[in-house]
Amino acid sequence: MSNFSASRIRLSLTSYLNVAAHQTQQHQQPQCAQRDRDINLALAAMRLFLSLLSLAGVLFTPTSASSDYHEQLNLRPLHPSLLLASFNFQSNTSLASFEQQNFRYFPRSLGQILQHANTRELHLRFSLGRWDAESWGARPWGGAREGGTGVELWAWVEAESDEEADGRWLTLTNALSGLFCASLNFIDSTRTIRPVMSFEPVGDHSNTTISDLHLLHGTLPREVVCTENLTPFLKLLPCKGKAGISSLLDGHKLFDASWQSMSIDVQPICEAGSNNCQLQITQTIDMVLDIQRSKRPRDNPIPRPVAESELKCDTSKEYHSHDTCFPLDAAAQEEEWSLAHIFGHSLKGTCPLADESTDPVCIDVPHARHVYASEGAHEHKDESGYKRCFSLAPDKEFEMILPEQEISEKAPLEQPLLYAERSFIGYGQESGGVQAILTNPSLTDSVDFVYMETLPWFMKLYLHTLKAKINGLDEDIIKEMYYRPALDRKRGTQLEVRAIIPANSTVVLTYDFEKAILRYTEYPPDANRGFDVAPAVITIGNIAIRTTSLLLPLPTPDFSMPYNVIILTSTVMALSFGFIFNLLVRRFVALDEADQWDVRAVRLKALAALKRLASRFGKGVKVEKKE
Amino acid sequence: MSGLLSSGALLRRDPRLLKVPPYLSFLCIVIGVAWLLVLPLDNYSRKTYISENALLPGQVHTYFAGSDQNVFRGYKKEVDALEGKGNTEVNDKLEEFFKASGLKVARQKYEYKSAGETYSGENIYAILHAPRGDAEEAIVLVGAWTNVEGELNKSGVALVLTLARYFKRWSLWSKDIIFLITADSRAGPQAWVDAYHDTHQKGIQSLPVKSGALQGAVVIDYPFDHRFESIHIVYDGINGQLPNLDLLNTVVAIASGQMGIGASLQKMWRHTDTYKDRLTTMLRGMLNQGLGHASGPHSSFIPYHVDAITLQPYGEGWQDEMAMGRVIESTFRSLNNLLEHLHQSFFFYLLMQSSRFVSIGTYLPSAMLVAINFTIMAIFLWVKSASPPATAGKVASATGEKSAPLMLVQEGDAKALVPEIFAEEKERDFFLPLAVVVGSHFLGVLPLYLFNHTPEIMLPAVFFIFAVMNFVFPFLASTVLTRSFAPTSQQYQLIKAFSLLFLGMFLSTLATLNFSLAFLVGLLSAPLTYIRSYPGRPITTVFFIGLLSLLAPTTVFLAGTTYWNLGIGEVLKEAAFGWDVWGMNTQVVVWCVWWPAWVVGMIQLAGKPKDEGGSIKI
Repeated sequence: MSNFSASRIRLSLTSYLNVAAHQTQQHQQPQCAQRDRDINLALAAMRLFLSLLSLAGVLFTPTSASSDYHEQLNLRPLHPSLLLASFNFQSNTSLASFEQQNFRYFPRSLGQILQHANTRELHLRFSLGRWDAESWGARPWGGAREGGTGVELWAWVEAESDEEADGRWLTLTNALSGLFCASLNFIDSTRTIRPVMSFEPVGDHSNTTISDLHLLHGTLPREVVCTENLTPFLKLLPCKGKAGISSLLDGHKLFDASWQSMSIDVQPICEAGSNNCQLQITQTIDMVLDIQRSKRPRDNPIPRPVAESELKCDTSKEYHSHDTCFPLDAAAQEEEWSLAHIFGHSLKGTCPLADESTDPVCIDVPHARHVYASEGAHEHKDESGYKRCFSLAPDKEFEMILPEQEISEKAPLEQPLLYAERSFIGYGQESGGVQAILTNPSLTDSVDFVYMETLPWFMKLYLHTLKAKINGLDEDIIKEMYYRPALDRKRGTQLEVRAIIPANSTVVLTYDFEKAILRYTEYPPDANRGFDVAPAVITIGNIAIRTTSLLLPLPTPDFSMPYNVIILTSTVMALSFGFIFNLLVRRFVALDEADQWDVRAVRLKALAALKRLASRFGKGVKVEKKE
Repeated sequence: MSGLLSSGALLRRDPRLLKVPPYLSFLCIVIGVAWLLVLPLDNYSRKTYISENALLPGQVHTYFAGSDQNVFRGYKKEVDALEGKGNTEVNDKLEEFFKASGLKVARQKYEYKSAGETYSGENIYAILHAPRGDAEEAIVLVGAWTNVEGELNKSGVALVLTLARYFKRWSLWSKDIIFLITADSRAGPQAWVDAYHDTHQKGIQSLPVKSGALQGAVVIDYPFDHRFESIHIVYDGINGQLPNLDLLNTVVAIASGQMGIGASLQKMWRHTDTYKDRLTTMLRGMLNQGLGHASGPHSSFIPYHVDAITLQPYGEGWQDEMAMGRVIESTFRSLNNLLEHLHQSFFFYLLMQSSRFVSIGTYLPSAMLVAINFTIMAIFLWVKSASPPATAGKVASATGEKSAPLMLVQEGDAKALVPEIFAEEKERDFFLPLAVVVGSHFLGVLPLYLFNHTPEIMLPAVFFIFAVMNFVFPFLASTVLTRSFAPTSQQYQLIKAFSLLFLGMFLSTLATLNFSLAFLVGLLSAPLTYIRSYPGRPITTVFFIGLLSLLAPTTVFLAGTTYWNLGIGEVLKEAAFGWDVWGMNTQVVVWCVWWPAWVVGMIQLAGKPKDEGGSIKI
């Protein structure tokens, strides 16, 4: 009951705040104050009533799913000697209580930002590294929980006009920038686009709101994701990295990963046909860790050559001897590892707030693989033969050990729908080209995809050069295209292409571009590094694939040149000024005249003064005469 | 105003002033050559230094040692076993090795056709993905299967394999590392770099796997088994382009500072730091730059603004292959540190020894002065061509007076009073001279085409026929010219003026791109400044004909091949290869700039100007 009263107090507080807010608005618009006040009061009363109702609903439905929290860690060994660790944290809160700022498991800091910026659905990504689809197979979550290198953000903002949406987007990016210690505030109009074909809302939005929703998308390919982004990320979790699977997350390990992606998705979920909506927040961290690299002790991370006795050699070679060794392929054997090896320490119990029906740790290995778990943990094997999960004892540390084992059976690798690669072609300072190679590995199915590029304004795309080739032959596979040309210093190019790639074929998309010359001050301090071009996004239904980002070298001026010019001009000016000044103020006299100089000078001066006086006098007289 | 004009005109015709230009232009040549000769002195060259602070050469510990040597020996045995095997078979094995190290491997077939020969092969390369990188930048480690001399690069390739395995263990790489093993040292690297930038010709496969922008390339050329003493660094690119000096300095700093291995340049195996050695190093460098050919697999990278060098261990010493590996390791660590593309240091320099250089600002005046000599003479001849036949006494007396004598000029109804000296000026008839000069330049396309499209077997024969024709042609052309047009001495002057003007303009432009070529061509055609027809002085004429014949492009070529003991066909084949594969443009300079100027010079010598009241003295 105490809970109820507390909520009530909060509710009344909220409504009070609402009224207060409206009253302040009133001051700004005094002409329609009276009418507004009436409406506002009525609205506030209604809101209070509604929230009371919903609260009653919460209280009277036992173990409602309105505010639950799940977390799960999924481990999947990858070839060769790598480990994919996927952390998934999910909590729901009812939309109604969210609107009353009753957040519970939903992070308040993020919730208030979303409310302030009228954001109905949010997707934020921090990524680093590159997913090697050839050896690692399909991406985790079908690529839905990852972004391009750097930071990627897209959101559906409720607004009545484009301008209002832009304003709210600006609010959102600036607020998130502060929250996540990332340069999100640099997502300005030149980096923001409004995708037309590529992104679809994941959440359920009512028909009335969806017409007012504006999709905005921004990327920061240059942003280096690091610990300062991880800390605020962990703070959003109910257990804040202190207990449960999040206790395994450590900046040193996460950012040493070959590939890592952090994501936050906020979306409303509604039951079909009812108004019972919930706001769902999903946070995931996926990382691919190198087992050998992770196993190195932190105080001695240098990969020194191993002792000769530990060298694994092919002894079948006839030249094999004590000083000659043909190295054996290390990847043939399953390596030994444990949680403590990989993450630096073992798992510190479960998060007490998490839903107990979900097993917190799962691993995708064949059932034949030996996995030893610490005491108190229960193993549940899956029927598929390749997955097992562990339920943990709440207060005990959990450790899992996979010993070295020779095993031929491997968990099957899921084939990606598409392999995508993008690179620059051509050279020089003036122009270049981009080539995207998309390969459909499937032998039977064609793939319908949307290819989206966001290019900076200084990369001027020639649309007429956009060509698609299938297996080296020109063929018209482009079904639909959306192109929004760049405006200098205002917005970037947006290109979306819908195309079909037939089974077992390769499509090469190429286009040419011209490099613009920037203004002197528009170059970053490391101008000669080049400029990052955001990854292309390839959308296939709800699966997204991103290419790597590109480094675009632009013509750079010699930055020491202005300095040289300044020095040179200053010298010339000083010389010429000195010369002329000398000529003006000095009088050059012959040496023999120099002795009588003072007398003569005085005489001359006096004469000049007299003359001047005389002339002035004379003039004055003339003027007087005229008048 | 008229006084000023006339005094300008008088000045122009001052006999004392008119005597100056020939001496001035001669002075230019002398100073130009002397300038070059003083460069090796301490006061005119500088010690090298690292400009790019990010490089930090030799600041890291190197760990390539210990049991990795056993691995190296293992790979070495494997490479030895592959000696003499076919390209594909070799690459199958190499692919296996790279894959076992956990790298992505791809191959590329190429085929070039030049001088009737086919150059084909298959490159193989492996990409080590930067552990946390995003394929934005890459550095390349190249080990050609055979080196420029055609020897099997056995230790080099084994070292690349061992280093690939070793580098894979490190997680600090910020750039992708590409390990490239090309089938040869000449066509293979070019095919690969071209395809990397998608500018490849027909017959060359596209690269199946790519990485980011190339930031640098290091080539290992280590074709022997024994220990070595020092490292020879080869840095010349195609068309005289050079890698950033920072890259070279980094390697020198690492080799000599960190590892205690000496570094030498331009095949100066023993460099005693004397004036003579410095000059020899510089001149050898200039010769290589002037020829503009590829001096190693690294040369093909440089036109794409990828800084590259070749490292060749040499001599008998106590440094082993692991020391070489550590030099590479440390160099790669330095390149890995780079935040920006190498741009801080010089791209135009001449090296005296591994730690001394002169930059473009210091050496450029030398070639410029040689080029300016032609321009001065051209302007002088232009002015001179309009002046009346020299009657020195009259002009001298005219200059002594304050005002020039005036005369009446009438044209139709219009009348004008002009100074006499203006009226005396001759009209320049320059259609014929221009036609001769432009024609001879266009004619240069003929040998250019001939030598780049003749099959190899016929090249020596074609060369000798051309050489003979080359000596007959100017006389023939001169005879035709005299018979059909009977050029006046003024026209001969103008022919020379235009020819020299063009030469001067071209060489001064070229000096900024390929200093050495501009200087060498300038020096070899310097006598052209003083060539004119000597009617009635057969001994002088014969002497000059002999001199010019010695300095003809064909004679110089012949002398060069004899001096370095090379076959004519071989060199011409190489030149055609350079034209077809490397995009070398030395030939254009030789046949379309130098040769036409020489032909025009010969035509002058053989010419008989129509007498127009006395000959003109220069």
